[in-house]
Amino acid sequence: MALRVTPGMMHRQMVRNMHSNLTRMDNRQNVLSTGMKLNKASDDPVGITYSLRYRSDLSINEQYQRNADTAKSWLDYTDTVLTQVNDMSQRAYELLTQAVNGTNPQEAMNACAIELKQIYEQVVSLGNTQMNDKYIFNGQLTDVQPYDLTTAGTQKTDNMSIQYRFAEGAGLNINITGNEVFGEPKAGDNLFLVLQQLQDSLRTGNQDAARSELDNLKSRLVKVNEARSTIGAKINRIDLISTRLTDLELNLTDMQAKTEDADMAETILKVKQDESVYQASLATGARIIQTSLLDYLR
Amino acid sequence: MRSTFHGIELAKRSLFAHTAWMNTTGHNISNANTPGYSRQVVNLVASRPIEAPGFSKSGMPGQLGMGVEYESIKRVRERFLDEQYWNANRSLGEWEIQADTLTKLEKVFNEPSDSGIRTVLDNFWKSWSELSKDPENVTSRKIVRENAMALMDAFNETSKKMTDMQNDLARSVTVKADHLNTLTDQVAQLNYEIYRIEGLGDNANDLRDQRDLLIDELSKMVNVTVREEDNGYVVTGGGIELVNGRESTQTTAADWEGAYNGNALSSGEMFGTIKSRDVLVNDYLSQLNELANTMANGEVTITIPSGSILPEGTVLNDITYSGTNRLLTSDLTVTVKGLNGLHQLGYTFTKPAQKGEVFFTSKDGGPITAGSIRLNPNIEKDPNLIASSMRVESKPEGDVAVKGNNTLALLMSQLKESSFKFNPIGSNNGITKGTIDDYYRSILGQLGVESKEALRQQENNSLLVDQVEGRRQSVSGVSLDEEMSNLIKFQHAYGAAARFMTTIDQNLDKVINSMGVVGR
Repeated sequence: MALRVTPGMMHRQMVRNMHSNLTRMDNRQNVLSTGMKLNKASDDPVGITYSLRYRSDLSINEQYQRNADTAKSWLDYTDTVLTQVNDMSQRAYELLTQAVNGTNPQEAMNACAIELKQIYEQVVSLGNTQMNDKYIFNGQLTDVQPYDLTTAGTQKTDNMSIQYRFAEGAGLNINITGNEVFGEPKAGDNLFLVLQQLQDSLRTGNQDAARSELDNLKSRLVKVNEARSTIGAKINRIDLISTRLTDLELNLTDMQAKTEDADMAETILKVKQDESVYQASLATGARIIQTSLLDYLR
Repeated sequence: MRSTFHGIELAKRSLFAHTAWMNTTGHNISNANTPGYSRQVVNLVASRPIEAPGFSKSGMPGQLGMGVEYESIKRVRERFLDEQYWNANRSLGEWEIQADTLTKLEKVFNEPSDSGIRTVLDNFWKSWSELSKDPENVTSRKIVRENAMALMDAFNETSKKMTDMQNDLARSVTVKADHLNTLTDQVAQLNYEIYRIEGLGDNANDLRDQRDLLIDELSKMVNVTVREEDNGYVVTGGGIELVNGRESTQTTAADWEGAYNGNALSSGEMFGTIKSRDVLVNDYLSQLNELANTMANGEVTITIPSGSILPEGTVLNDITYSGTNRLLTSDLTVTVKGLNGLHQLGYTFTKPAQKGEVFFTSKDGGPITAGSIRLNPNIEKDPNLIASSMRVESKPEGDVAVKGNNTLALLMSQLKESSFKFNPIGSNNGITKGTIDDYYRSILGQLGVESKEALRQQENNSLLVDQVEGRRQSVSGVSLDEEMSNLIKFQHAYGAAARFMTTIDQNLDKVINSMGVVGR
């Protein structure tokens, strides 16, 4: 026997279809209005773990980029200071070669000594350079002034390095110690000592002693330049890291979008489709449940 | 020899029978939308002919019909479909509750978003990285403190929401038990009434409908089995005999918990509610607890760079560091107990420098859970107690922390990608070793899978229930079209019977009033 169909069944079926159509439309509207296909964990249980990972990675990437920016400005600043140290040393070298050519009177040498004194003071002040209230040449003792005006030549700076991190397992020491730049305490080519001794030699007119410092000064100049190139290399590395972090950010954003974001064109199309299905179901439903035998009985 | 008034009697019977049918049709139409109602039909039979074989049989030929009479009024219903409905309904009840619980849990975790635990966790790690750039600065310390407190709030809040859910579910068990008692009372009452009515030979159609409707409702709540005995339904639910004839058993929440633990309660809303509370919510809560506790105390391997100076009396890898060997001459790879263990290897900025205190503590002094974890109140008061340095200098006034040393801050920020050791006992999360982020992600992954499965099951079972209900409606539902055509059919028959009676009446009139008057 054919299935007996009662209005109750049809009514129930219609309500059910209407309900499921509406549920589908509601979900689709939600996707459309949030722009995301992943709104809760059950929307895509695998996707959610990736989504959380991309979000975390993006978040820490932002921090790493900030770290790289800080490191860059620290290194740039160090580079500027080193350039000045280099200029000062060059100037001292020029003065020295002029002073010891054997033809200068004592007055001229005194004048040189006065300028050397200025240079010395300037170099000591460069050694005490601060960035954000931190002494940049004193290792980890950033709150301790590394050099005194009187005893700079014999002072030892802290030799511990300061590390910044820019990625998992990728750290970089961003500081250079005063002893590396200006020379170990009491060493022959310690810039402070050289400058002090030159002043003394020139004041006393001891040209030989002054001449003997030439090599020390030269060796220091080479080392300052070495330090500059080290810093330069680090700056290059930071630039590379920054580029990589920016690339990574792009990739991560892209992958996050693929996991989370809805395809708008497709969604809109489907919403339209859902709409027409819903309207059709309403139209047929209304027509079916309205008619009954009663309409035709006299 | 038949009676003169045979025809009148015959017509009367027909009128009665069709009136009964039309009344039943009226009853059907009235109850077309009554829940649980099954359409009723009148069993018409031709009356027994008068001339039975026997000595008194007249010599007249043929058996003359004696008209119609109705034997009974019955409801049209299939018990088989009812059984199917009850079976499908209990699964629906079970999954509805579970799907509801898991959907709520998804809302509690609220991922992916910019306000869930993931965000505050990321911010926490980031703040340590920020501190490593600027360890001298108290502002960076305050940022670490604020982010740590935000993380603690997120843990506490999530834990509280889950505990609240458990309490709600527990209350729901009590409410459901009460409701169940009302239902079983009514079933027992109906059992008795049906017993009394049917004892007299009638069919208690409408009362049976009501009783089945109550069982429909019961079947959604617990796994019921129904047996029909002489004294009515014997209803067993979750292994407990709920109704037997006039007697119903009053149950309490404790009874159902017992049935659940004894595996006798295996389906229905009651089962879903207790399972949601004891298994689902409990599992996610214990995973969150494990996450909080591991973060504070879980074993993790770190490498301390050379040049660091360990606090006096530190014991690592069974070596006690004291005096001169406190200064590490080479990198040292050791296992420490969580952020708390690591924080105690550093120095605070107090004067003289102290070794770091535990970073996280428990609000109630008990073990650390997501609900009880908090930032060490001392650190909360004084951010200078956040250790970032692993180096001290001896000064006449005592040890002073090297402020520019950022080793501990770096190590802390590195914990983001370090593998912690997790305890797999007490939860469904299989991860024994992984990063904090991994573990959190796995919680969400599991929640997603379970929630999706529950929603799918709910959908399927709902379809199944609807399908069976459709079959039931097909058999028992009232079709107005059918009732109307029946009504017309019986109205016609009624009219014809009346006409028949009129005919007989006219015949008799002829015999009585018009005969024997010839030639008047």
